[in-house]
Amino acid sequence: MSAIELRNVTKSFGSHVAVTDLSLSVPEGCVYGFIGPNGSGKTTTLRMIMNILYPDSGEIRIFGESIRSSRCDRIGYMPEERGLYQRMKVRDVLIFFGGLKNDHNIKSRVDQWLERMDLTKWAYQKVETLSKGMSQKVQFIATVVSQPKLIILDEPFTGLDPVNNEVLKDAVLELQDQGTTVIFSTHDMNMAERMCDFIFMIFKGQKVLDGTLISIQDRYANDTIHVQTEQGVHVLNHIEGIDKINDYGNVQELRITSAADPQVILKTIMERTRVYSFNLVKPSLHDIFIRIAGVEARGNNHA
Amino acid sequence: MRKILRYTRREYMAAVKTKGFIIGLILAPIMMSGGMIAFLLLKDRVDTTDKRIAVIDHTGRVAQALVAAAEYRNINELHNKSSGKKIKPAYLIEQIQADSLHISKQLLELSDRVRQNDLYAFAVIGPHVIHPGQNEKNVSVAFYARSAAMDDMRDWIMWPVNDRLRKLRLADAGIEESAVADLFYWVNVEGLNLISVDKNTGTISDARKASPVDALVVPIAIMMILFLMIMMSVPGMLTSVMEEKTQHIAEVLLGSITPFEFMLSKLLAGVAVSLTSSGVYIIGGVMAVTYMGFEEYIPFHVLPWFWCICHSLSLCLDLFRQPWDRPVVKLKTRSR
Repeated sequence: MSAIELRNVTKSFGSHVAVTDLSLSVPEGCVYGFIGPNGSGKTTTLRMIMNILYPDSGEIRIFGESIRSSRCDRIGYMPEERGLYQRMKVRDVLIFFGGLKNDHNIKSRVDQWLERMDLTKWAYQKVETLSKGMSQKVQFIATVVSQPKLIILDEPFTGLDPVNNEVLKDAVLELQDQGTTVIFSTHDMNMAERMCDFIFMIFKGQKVLDGTLISIQDRYANDTIHVQTEQGVHVLNHIEGIDKINDYGNVQELRITSAADPQVILKTIMERTRVYSFNLVKPSLHDIFIRIAGVEARGNNHA
Repeated sequence: MRKILRYTRREYMAAVKTKGFIIGLILAPIMMSGGMIAFLLLKDRVDTTDKRIAVIDHTGRVAQALVAAAEYRNINELHNKSSGKKIKPAYLIEQIQADSLHISKQLLELSDRVRQNDLYAFAVIGPHVIHPGQNEKNVSVAFYARSAAMDDMRDWIMWPVNDRLRKLRLADAGIEESAVADLFYWVNVEGLNLISVDKNTGTISDARKASPVDALVVPIAIMMILFLMIMMSVPGMLTSVMEEKTQHIAEVLLGSITPFEFMLSKLLAGVAVSLTSSGVYIIGGVMAVTYMGFEEYIPFHVLPWFWCICHSLSLCLDLFRQPWDRPVVKLKTRSR
């Protein structure tokens, strides 16, 4: 059974269409990554799943039930912008939010999560005294402390230092191991590559990618070459079959056309300079994201 | 229901467990009755600077009475009998001959003297005041001052002038004043409550005098408590909703409760805060009034109705200020 199913969902705000005819299916028990540029419709989609916004058309089902009738107690939601009562104490605010969904043994669960997130000594401090990263962790605890079956995290890693990033990541993966379905949106492509079983990309309100990382990368096949030469980027200009060159100093990344033969390109480079390394690689998620939503994509669209 | 009660409890505790609420509970009635307190504190602080008034008497027969009355007042009423402290200003009357040919110019000169603080005020007694007859419209004693509308002196002048006029009219009619002593006796109409049976003795008890406390103080006090209750609960709720919207707490909450539960909890919490503050004022007020011995003025039969009406009003005002769909509509129109 799918944890979430969207069918032909559309949402507009006045004349602006935020989400256009969107369909997706989130398998139960997976980690599902939402990626997309700013203003693409990620948060709108997540809010529609949470029933905070109502779609103009289409259908949304949670664990097979229509969203209007499904119990929101099974869903934990962490919005992009923190929403905590500033003048409440940390422990009290967690007990309050967690208790709204599931108040069974709430206090002991809160204490366990505070210890897990290394926030025990802040338990009796007011939320307004916490740093941004600590508030983020508290917000995460508030999302998961009620033991929901589905967790939706809107950019959970924003503002966290690398150590807390790892803590949060480990917590998310542990929840997944326990059978929880996790959806999170992020701008950190590395994190998405490492954590997500499935990647979904939305661009200008429409789905442009949906599948596993490998299936997405296969779509772009082996069109990327990493090369290291003696004379650097200057000798790589004007070689037939090379579509784009990204210069990283010691290494250059070449994007070749679909008709180009990497062997011919290698031979051409070798005629011009000494080649230290020549690797045919699959594009990273970061690279794919830039291709779809970057300047050149917008330039192509305008053309 | 569990969620509603949980959220209501949080909202209620967030409202009452603050220094602001407790200080407001104490300060609000003090500020509301500030005018009364100021009056009680300042009522004995009177300007005792002597007041000189010029009088133009067109009849030639009335001004003397004013002079005599002022002299009597200055001797007998200026000082506190026990402390000897001056508590009222002396009235010094200056009689001025009327200049019939240049009356306007004379009035202007007197006005200028008032402006220069040489005089406090001046009065003009019209020529027909003794026997108005057909000239009723032109009969007057004109009092000129900087703020003549609310002037103690203007009120004081009425009695000696009218008393003198009555005596002059009797004299002109050839009637001895002593023969008609009852003519000027003014009978008051005394207000009394209804007669009832004393519950303790079974006898018919005398009617109690109607008191301004019954007629004015109790309704005013109840009205003030009503106003206080509304003012103490509604702004707090408005602030709470604004905080939840601006800090995106509403977004998190709507992931756990429905908009109906969200707003119902807020309304219930607002009513609970009103109940708390009204309970403090009413119970405290009843205890204070009983201690002072005025428990007979407490309308116990009205209090339950008052409580119901107050909280209904508070609920309606909360509904008016916090439209049910406003937080959700605002969230619905934000795009990302």
